[in-house]
Amino acid sequence: MAGNYERKIGPVVSVLIPTFNRPRYLAEALSSVLQQSYTNLQVIIVNDGGRDIGDIIASFNDPRLIYINRKQNLGKAFSLNQALSKAEGKYIAYLDDDDLYYPNHIETLVDVLENQTDCQVAYSDLYKMCCRIMPDGSRQILSKVVEVTRDFDRFFMLYYNHVLHVSLMHYRTLIEKTGPYNEQLNVLIDWDIARRLAFFSDFQHVYEITGEYCHPIDECDRISIQRRKDQDEYLKNVFTIRTTRPAKPWSKIEDLSIIFITQQMDNRAKETLNSIRQYTFYPYEIYLPLPQVDCESLSMPNVINVSVDSFASQSQRIDAALAKCDGEYIVILPNGFPVRNFWVEDSLYALINNSSDREAFELEGSTDELWAVVLKKDYLINARREFPSLAILESLKAADIFVRRVLAEEIPFQFDQLLEKTKLAEKNGKWQQAAPMFEYIAEHYQNQLWMKTLAAKAFFNANNINKAQELCSEINRQRPTVDTFLLEAKIKRTGKDFTQAIKLLEQAEQILEGKELLWI
Amino acid sequence: MDITQENFDHTSKFGNESQNETIQQNDVTQHYLVLQELGDCCSSVGNYTQAQQYYEKAATLAPDEVGPYVGLGVVALQKNLLDDAEIAFRVACRLDGSCAKAYAGLAMIAQQRADYEQAFKMYLKSLELDSDNLIALLGLFQTSCQMGTFSKVIHYLEVYLNMHPGDISVMFPLAALYMRDGSFERSRKLLMSILTLDPDNEDAANLLEEVEHNLAQQKQTVM
Repeated sequence: MAGNYERKIGPVVSVLIPTFNRPRYLAEALSSVLQQSYTNLQVIIVNDGGRDIGDIIASFNDPRLIYINRKQNLGKAFSLNQALSKAEGKYIAYLDDDDLYYPNHIETLVDVLENQTDCQVAYSDLYKMCCRIMPDGSRQILSKVVEVTRDFDRFFMLYYNHVLHVSLMHYRTLIEKTGPYNEQLNVLIDWDIARRLAFFSDFQHVYEITGEYCHPIDECDRISIQRRKDQDEYLKNVFTIRTTRPAKPWSKIEDLSIIFITQQMDNRAKETLNSIRQYTFYPYEIYLPLPQVDCESLSMPNVINVSVDSFASQSQRIDAALAKCDGEYIVILPNGFPVRNFWVEDSLYALINNSSDREAFELEGSTDELWAVVLKKDYLINARREFPSLAILESLKAADIFVRRVLAEEIPFQFDQLLEKTKLAEKNGKWQQAAPMFEYIAEHYQNQLWMKTLAAKAFFNANNINKAQELCSEINRQRPTVDTFLLEAKIKRTGKDFTQAIKLLEQAEQILEGKELLWI
Repeated sequence: MDITQENFDHTSKFGNESQNETIQQNDVTQHYLVLQELGDCCSSVGNYTQAQQYYEKAATLAPDEVGPYVGLGVVALQKNLLDDAEIAFRVACRLDGSCAKAYAGLAMIAQQRADYEQAFKMYLKSLELDSDNLIALLGLFQTSCQMGTFSKVIHYLEVYLNMHPGDISVMFPLAALYMRDGSFERSRKLLMSILTLDPDNEDAANLLEEVEHNLAQQKQTVM
């Protein structure tokens, strides 16, 4: 009986809302949750040591609300962990205290996770609502723009966050695998958890706008903005996130083991290690085949000493480390190698996506003196087993492993590079050049809706009205936004169709005015 | 809201060109643009009351933008509220001293008040700022007719036609001015062009008849 009931109303979703001294907007945020079309909710509000908001919570008189009133300010990560400890839902969703869900937010994401995908994480699109805060505290809305609408890309997620935390919903059980929010971080905690989720699941991108987040244009006292101004502290957070490795097994990421070859732990070796920490975003562990190293003194995470005889040859050191390596991919890296941005990821990406077997990739910057390579561990193990007396490169060749450099079309982030070039053309007013490039990207890469929107704008500016109209109608049939309504209205106005233009603009105005948010 | 892309330039291969912009122009102007467009469209279909409401709202969102004040001026002109129109156009001129539309608006007000000298001055100012402004051009022509002075108008009409060859609404007044100026051959050529583009144009046909009559008389006088 209970099972049937649950099937009918759907599984419980726990919505976590940390808050700190924003009572004015919290009430609106809570309303937007409690008036969701999907009702089976557990809403956990954590007051992170701010002014008491008990009266606001009480005014809703809703049994789905759970209020944790903490007197001490311990940060957002701590608050989220506290909320997670109370969460009982099958799914977890998030809301900040000044943001809003649209009425279909939870229902849309639950439906996708329950019925439409094997992913355990889903995210929708949100409007960035830019506003001016008026003297009386009210918001004057200046725009609603879909700024972040990128399809899930795991490699990109490791490098850079592209999912808005408020739009995220995931299985609660995933937190057991990722581990809790990192309370040592004071910025980028959203990226940290999203990145860790990507170790265990794909993310389903839902092309619906299901809420909005507030972005005051002249408010620079936001905690997150202030904290980002301290560059050293900020970078420390970035490095912490990049070196975070959730407990294995990882179902979606294959590990990388870097065998670092040096005769001693001199300054040059320390500099190389530091560069690895600075520039590597793919998860890794470093293996140091040296007689004895005090890894603690290196103050670097993910470094493992492999004790070897001090007279061991280079090949012997590599073999000793290889026997301990946990990763599916191996990098052999000599001391002094020029480690910079994408030093390993360019070749690693090619290797991961390489359909032909038996290939190894020399890293960019590799020379005869400083030879560096990335390859599958199995191939290296087999080559060493078959030809233990040969040097590494010779043993690979003897085992029919083809060693080559990566090609330009094999490196990651092709989409972004093409997009950058096209945006540059656009910036320089070369609309006729930019428009077909956007179309090309839409046809050959992900992110179709985003690229088609840019193409429509470029065609309009290039005075190719027919093409702009064609694209714009297509987009507005699929997923209209304020921007695309405005663009199509301009197109209609160009053709003197004022009646249609007014209709489109009125729809845009309704979104801007929040007319669909009936609970407010 | 913690959008983690924002400060990633230190490692970004893509600089600011990825999907990580912070405050963009559109972030600040989008709502204003929607209202301004609504005002312009409503004005175009003659719904001036609605247009006025949109322009007023647009002005509160972007008080430094000239567009809403020009729109309010046009609406007031249409309602024949000349004083209100003048205030709106003057605000627009103050916000942007090079706003050709605002000067054209002030010129129209002066013209309606039968202050042709002031109207002529304002139309000229508008055309100096934007020689492409058809309303100012035709206004200048009308005012010239009202004042009986044409010398400066011909130049602006010629400039405009160079940019918009085939615009009959300007070709005809220019042909009329040529005729009035005694440049019958130039007038005839222009009228012939109009009739090629629009064979049913009766005004052009009538004027051509008159021009050809003058040309014939001229020839007779020479002989």
